[in-house]
Amino acid sequence: MERRQFFKTLAGSSLLLSSSGAGFLSDLFAFQETANLSRVEARYYKKLPDREIECQLCPRNCRLGDKERGYCGVRENIGGTYYTLVYGKACAANVDPIEKKPFFHFLPNTTAFSIATAGCNVNCKFCQNWQISQVRAEQVRPFDLPPQDVVANALRYNCPSISYTYTEPVVFFEYMYDTSLEARKKGIKNCVVTAGHFKREPLLDLVKVVDAIKVDLKAFNQDFYTNYVRGELQPVLETIKTIRQSKVWLELVYLVIPTLNDNTEEIRQMSQWIKNEIGPDVPLHFSRFHPMYLIQNLPPTPVSTLEKIRDVALGEGLHYVYIGNVPGHRAESTFCPRCQKMIIERVGFEVKKIEIEGGNCKFCGNAIPGIWA
Amino acid sequence: MNEAKVAVIRGKGVFTTDGDLQQPKIVEMIQRGLQILTGSRDAQEGLGQIFLKNDRVGIKINTIGGRKISTRPELSLSLADVLIKGGLPDKNILIWDRTNRELKEAGYRLASNSNGLKIFATDSNGAGYETEIVSHLNIGSLFSTIQTNFVTASISLAILKDHGLAGVTAGMKNYYGAIHNPNKYHDTRCNPYIAELFDANPIKKKHRLSILDGLIVQYNRGPSYHAQWAEPCGVLIFSRDAPAADSVGWQIIEKLRAKKGLPSLKEDKREPAYLMTAEKMGLGRSGADKIQIIEDEV
Repeated sequence: MERRQFFKTLAGSSLLLSSSGAGFLSDLFAFQETANLSRVEARYYKKLPDREIECQLCPRNCRLGDKERGYCGVRENIGGTYYTLVYGKACAANVDPIEKKPFFHFLPNTTAFSIATAGCNVNCKFCQNWQISQVRAEQVRPFDLPPQDVVANALRYNCPSISYTYTEPVVFFEYMYDTSLEARKKGIKNCVVTAGHFKREPLLDLVKVVDAIKVDLKAFNQDFYTNYVRGELQPVLETIKTIRQSKVWLELVYLVIPTLNDNTEEIRQMSQWIKNEIGPDVPLHFSRFHPMYLIQNLPPTPVSTLEKIRDVALGEGLHYVYIGNVPGHRAESTFCPRCQKMIIERVGFEVKKIEIEGGNCKFCGNAIPGIWA
Repeated sequence: MNEAKVAVIRGKGVFTTDGDLQQPKIVEMIQRGLQILTGSRDAQEGLGQIFLKNDRVGIKINTIGGRKISTRPELSLSLADVLIKGGLPDKNILIWDRTNRELKEAGYRLASNSNGLKIFATDSNGAGYETEIVSHLNIGSLFSTIQTNFVTASISLAILKDHGLAGVTAGMKNYYGAIHNPNKYHDTRCNPYIAELFDANPIKKKHRLSILDGLIVQYNRGPSYHAQWAEPCGVLIFSRDAPAADSVGWQIIEKLRAKKGLPSLKEDKREPAYLMTAEKMGLGRSGADKIQIIEDEV
């Protein structure tokens, strides 16, 4: 029996029903025809025989057959060509204080027009934005926001920078890159918030078009990356070094999770690595954990733990060590490493006072690294 | 744990000379498979051992591969027909997968009539995914509300394929299509994720039957379709033991690979490790010596 004949027979016996049939379910399940996905050819991949591809964007090197999706959930092999499904498809767009990212040495007391698409190339069990990062492209309701419109919005809201944030910008690399180029034409800076799980080639291209990158260093041991991040530590360390060698401003964030990555000896080793490999002037933020996503069984990080860890990092010679997610804490503010005076006073995301002039401490003239205007 | 029973039914002349499927033959294969599996006089009696009269039965199919290598409508609709003839109300039967686009690309016509058989996907308005994460071992996922709410009894009607990472994709991995983030579970050859997902309550408590579509088997370079490595085998595999069904499917793939001069999955370092994990977790049997295979031809 041919397929057409077969369906005809079934339809006759009421097995196949039209989607426009009567009944409450017809209304309930109004079928979604198409998801709002882009089909823009991805960059950084290799075509392989038999319509397979290998993604070269992140260290996972996803090797995918026809119709398969990468780990990130937003890039797909369609007939041997690899596509990004989220180009110009923002699922979040906000005007945020730059301090929220956090960037403390990059255009303080300004706002960043902040965007994200769905997807992520790691799977942190403590992700605070998992509803948009740990989903596939069609599981959010994106709006069309092409690069020119992102820039137009940044101008409209007087944001001197655009931030690629909330999820993992590496998975929407093409969108971020093209938007950054457009932004630069209009004198707007670009800043990136990432887990740093990049391959070198795209990263080297990215640092040519952005101004600041904040890397979330999740821990300083591979076991944590294996068990709680589903990623690799070493590529992240390489990313940090590569950024530091570029002209892009770099800051680091370390989310301190009780019992999981708060070992002081490990923090000491990490601080030594930072000092030796990228220098003592890179700001390091120790952020407070709150129960989230798949880690609900641990308490928020005690402030005393954050303070102890900060002391370890300062003791190892790092110059700018902050405490985050503890609004009102003195360690949210910036102190001049030479004269010890407070040079940027912050309370939460609010900047109360800036005592920096021409990139120097107002009190002693010490050069304070950062991008200040 | 008792020996697992698996019925392997070959359909003589299930394909026409044009390569189309003979629907009456498929119905016959399903009936015979259910009969053997349950040791009943006929399929209708056998269904009574598997389902309650008021069960809402979800037939989870696999349509990711497009028209060429998805669970065929001729098969899933024939199964629905057998279930209905066995006494299950047609309004309580739903053929489903992840997206309506994939269903349509695989040749399905969507149907949502409240009084009849339903065919729709998780991305239909009114369906979707749960908003509460199910966290189980290494799994952290949102389940399709079809699996959690609509379905009281589940059939995994999966296409049998080689899989570049897992080794084999069949009845157990088919449930990757019941969660929002299957892309997160392909590391380390999908192991232990396939077994652990199956062990999660929304699946384990509802799964009643695995039927593997081995009518055409992609025995190499799967899960995508490659005509040169797709063999018309004309086989359906039935078991209430999900790892056992997949194990038998795996052996069929191995035989095809050997026949074509390809290395075994073990030699290719793609032995489906998830099956051993599943057995260790008590989800069923994976070794050949623990599976009673009953073969028949109709």
